[in-house]
Amino acid sequence: MQQLLNGLFIGSIYALFAIGFTLVFGILDRLNLAHPAVFAASAFVGIGLAEAFELSIWVILVLVFLFGAVLGLVIERVAFRPLKNRPDAHFAGLIASIAMAGMIVAVLQAFFGPQTRRFPEGTAPEGKVEILGASATYVQLAIVVICIGLVIALNVLVQRSSLGRSMRAVAENPTAARVLGINVDRVTAMTFSISSALGAVAGVLFALNVNSAQLGMGTAIELKGLAVIIVGGMGSLPGALVGGLILGIAEVFAIQYIGSSWRDFIAFALLFVILLLMPQGIFGKRKVREV
Amino acid sequence: MFTESVLVFIALNGIFAYSFYAVLVAGQLSLGQAGFAGIAAFVAATLAPTPTDWGPIPTLIVAIVIGMVVGSLAAVILGLPTMRLRGVFLAIATLGFAEGIRIFILNQSWTGGAQGMSVPKIVGPEIAWVLLIVVAYWFWRQGRSRYGRALEAIREDELAARSIGIDVGRHRLTAFVSAGAIAGLYGVLWAYFMRIIAPEDFSFSTAIDGLVTAVVGGSTNFFGPILGSGFQTMLPEIQRAVGIEAGWLRPFISGLLLLIVILYLPGGIASLVPRRKQKIDVAALGLAEASGESVAMREHPAKGEVVVQLNALAKEYGGVHAVQGVDLTVRSGDVVGLIGPNGAGKTTLVNMISGLIPPSSGSATVLGVEVGRTPVHKIAAAGVTRTFQHSKLFNRLSALENVLIGTHLVAKPTFLRRLLWLPSARRDEQAALAQAARCLDRVGLLEKANVEAKGLSYGDQRRLEIARALAADPSLLILDEPAAGMNHVEAEELSALIRSLANDGLTIIFIEHNVGMVLGTCDHIAVLNFGQLLASGTPAEIEADERVIEAYLGAVQEAEAETSAPVVADASDDPNQGRA
Repeated sequence: MQQLLNGLFIGSIYALFAIGFTLVFGILDRLNLAHPAVFAASAFVGIGLAEAFELSIWVILVLVFLFGAVLGLVIERVAFRPLKNRPDAHFAGLIASIAMAGMIVAVLQAFFGPQTRRFPEGTAPEGKVEILGASATYVQLAIVVICIGLVIALNVLVQRSSLGRSMRAVAENPTAARVLGINVDRVTAMTFSISSALGAVAGVLFALNVNSAQLGMGTAIELKGLAVIIVGGMGSLPGALVGGLILGIAEVFAIQYIGSSWRDFIAFALLFVILLLMPQGIFGKRKVREV
Repeated sequence: MFTESVLVFIALNGIFAYSFYAVLVAGQLSLGQAGFAGIAAFVAATLAPTPTDWGPIPTLIVAIVIGMVVGSLAAVILGLPTMRLRGVFLAIATLGFAEGIRIFILNQSWTGGAQGMSVPKIVGPEIAWVLLIVVAYWFWRQGRSRYGRALEAIREDELAARSIGIDVGRHRLTAFVSAGAIAGLYGVLWAYFMRIIAPEDFSFSTAIDGLVTAVVGGSTNFFGPILGSGFQTMLPEIQRAVGIEAGWLRPFISGLLLLIVILYLPGGIASLVPRRKQKIDVAALGLAEASGESVAMREHPAKGEVVVQLNALAKEYGGVHAVQGVDLTVRSGDVVGLIGPNGAGKTTLVNMISGLIPPSSGSATVLGVEVGRTPVHKIAAAGVTRTFQHSKLFNRLSALENVLIGTHLVAKPTFLRRLLWLPSARRDEQAALAQAARCLDRVGLLEKANVEAKGLSYGDQRRLEIARALAADPSLLILDEPAAGMNHVEAEELSALIRSLANDGLTIIFIEHNVGMVLGTCDHIAVLNFGQLLASGTPAEIEADERVIEAYLGAVQEAEAETSAPVVADASDDPNQGRA
């Protein structure tokens, strides 16, 4: 039970991170590899804010959400928009976003130095609760609630709001969406913005959960995020949630029964099996090519 | 600045970048190369003899052979199950495999786990550069070979490549295996240069670095990876030389420059070097023709023999009957017109005949091949080529290069002979070039041979696609709306071309909305309506057929009084076709 709960905590962070990845991929058909850099940057910015102003964690989460949103706009503007009319746009965007990621991490190093950083004591409420014989800290519970809440909110946004409708139209066919009067550039920018905001919150929550933040923290979760979106189905929001939780729980049990050195193997074994057996993922749609 | 280790790193990073180039030229994005390199390095370092027993160079040669074999095997093991994946999916699957290999190595005792393994140092700048040049030479000779062109075709348009007889799966796998072998070479050289290898040397970031190097250098030219490697390796060195401190500024500037290259140099650094275009020398062409030096020509079935036999052919899409119960016989040397209103199932029918989609029921035999389970490229090899309703040209290649790729089935493989500079390879390339030029000439595009396909006018693009299909020397040519976007004069020329091809013994099936042209060109017309064969017969019979007039020709009959080449009013629901 304790293991299941621990898997749920880490899995919900994976899900929140992966959902940003999958949002951009599902709607715009672009893989944004600067997303992990946003994840790391927001953790450092969150710690910086906590140290400088002694803010409560709730305020920090809101500020970091906004920070991520702005960073997303910058990434879209610099690394993706100039390339949008190129025939190899998704490939060039991939490389451009790698360059952006390198620059973001370099700037982080300039501000915060290369050391591992922690949230100052007392940023987050302390204490534990017992659930069905397993214990969980308030922080951990908050993580699950925030992650799942944000994922549900995003789903409602995409399904119900007019922005969500425009997003789905762009996902279906950007040219047709443009003809129908949808401002595709604005929808693209908004998608990047929302995606990065979610990645930013995931970064802070991750740093809270393991109580440390490193410059390389994005790289470690990047691979897992990719595994999650494949397992859940590229572009599927519920898929990313379920995939994240599955991965988190599978990892925790792998540490228990196989050994911690094989933990990272689980993500890739899972990824590989899913790709071979059901390339569209658990929730993905199969795209049919027509002549 | 050019210390020994910098020189070696330029060479090694260049070789690694070539392992990405090897698949990028076929349009595949693989990130598994770090894994191939890792497993190759550890296996080779374990199995190879020690330099004290064998001497340094033989040791290295043995290690390289082991490494390249291991790398290729790993590529085959990964390649076979992942061949159906494309784009980002392929990248992530290969990345997952590579990370899996890294964690496997990390958890083995024979590899030394996280500490790694110590390896004698053998590789210096000379060895590294000689091998880099060998690899570069390989790709230089690959570029203008039949194999290299087939990979380019797959990168530009996979479906079009299939339709002219390129076995896409086999070519992709070959490209993948060569990537594995070169990555293996890199792994071994890295091991015998660094003295110590650890699993972390072959991580995700290694793969990203290799990919970035290949892309920065550019995959349009064979020396792109060398330029990329020079750029990426020298950047930190130059920054050090001009006094920029280590720490955050150097990676920041590297990232910025990478961004600038991607944004402003679409083809990578190599695109700064002008690319030599393949030109046709008309005089040499005449000579080749005179000496009888020509590609193998197909023996067409005798006039009147059955070429296509359809029996109760049907295609269903989730309850929608696109085509149902079509029986049709096409005889050799005939020009068969396929007409019918939009959505009548004409394109679906020819897609089944050319093997692109399998029928739901019924059977179809084309030139002795049963379609359905036969892959498209085998049907093309049997002598069926086609054009598409929406042109599927290799847009970034010149008109001549497009048609040259079309000669794939009739030209001989030249890559291995080109490596050895055999004169016969040059002769075969000349013959393929002559064939391509003849086909271009036939459709009247010879003077536009060096124009990029996407720069041609719409009518010219349609003609170019016909030339490409002709280059494979087919017995059955399928044209899907070839006159769309052509004016009356062009349509008449096309009609004359189709007749002259039929005189050469070709069988032609063509879909067209320009009914006047169909009536004037065809020996036989089949009319489809709502997926069913409404009528089939000679132009005179079709013109007189009550049902056809009612269903389809009615409006045209009246219009015919005014214009000599009537066009069906509802010609297309697609505004992009630019129809007159």
